Amino acid sequence: MPISEDHVGRTYPATASYQVSRAKIAEFAAALGDATCPAYGGDDPVAPPTFAVVLSSAAWDAMFADPELGLSLSRTVHVDQRFAWRRPLRAGDEVTATLTIEKVRARGATSIITIAVDLATTAGEPLCTATSTLMHTAQEAA
Amino acid sequence: MTTLEATEGQALPGFTRTVTRADLVRYAGASGDFNPIHWSDAAAASLGLPDVIAHGMLTMGTALRVVTDWAGDPGRVLSYSVRFTKPVVVPADGGADVRFAGTVTKVADGVATVAIEAVCGDTKVLGAAVAEVLLG
Repeated sequence: MPISEDHVGRTYPATASYQVSRAKIAEFAAALGDATCPAYGGDDPVAPPTFAVVLSSAAWDAMFADPELGLSLSRTVHVDQRFAWRRPLRAGDEVTATLTIEKVRARGATSIITIAVDLATTAGEPLCTATSTLMHTAQEAA
Repeated sequence: MTTLEATEGQALPGFTRTVTRADLVRYAGASGDFNPIHWSDAAAASLGLPDVIAHGMLTMGTALRVVTDWAGDPGRVLSYSVRFTKPVVVPADGGADVRFAGTVTKVADGVATVAIEAVCGDTKVLGAAVAEVLLG
């Protein structure tokens, strides 16, 4: 069964908890060419806003591993991305990510899929919602 | 936290980043996105791409520096959305220059809306790139 509107609302178990570290914040800031921004250094750094992708993309794995959907990352194009933050991620935060399928529009072999990943601390504090639109093309045309 | 003000039409300082193959490898490691179209010529060619392409999220993340450099505190960014309109093609020799700039398009209820531009050559590589920033 390929992905269809029937899968809207499906939620996967939260990812294993991930501890944000000073070293990973520094590594991510450097990858953005932003290593000298003071907010990302020192003893109590915040993460660059788009650091959230480290966690949200980990949550994608559960959906791509779902045999009912028949999805493959190599046939997926990332169309758009949105983040909405409650507060910045900080070194020491213990974070999990939970993916929900919000919308599916299927047309032949191509599906447009909207997913929302909610990031929260293991204590239940909401941190960020990362919403993505993906375009997936099934291997064999319907 | 220092005070932040904005006016509609205000241009935010832009910058140019030369994105190299080494930058793509570094971002792959930092983000965990090891899709081979970002580092393998063969993988890019098999999809009909002229060369390897930058991670869309690398372009998105770099572009937000227009806002965070201006605002000072990255915690002021409330939301940020982009459409990945065109890939940034990164040749092995010399990389690709991407120019970033921003304009305040709206100020209301203590929040500035910033439209961000990301251009490589003559090509807009991000569409509808908009961030909301807490003022005050």
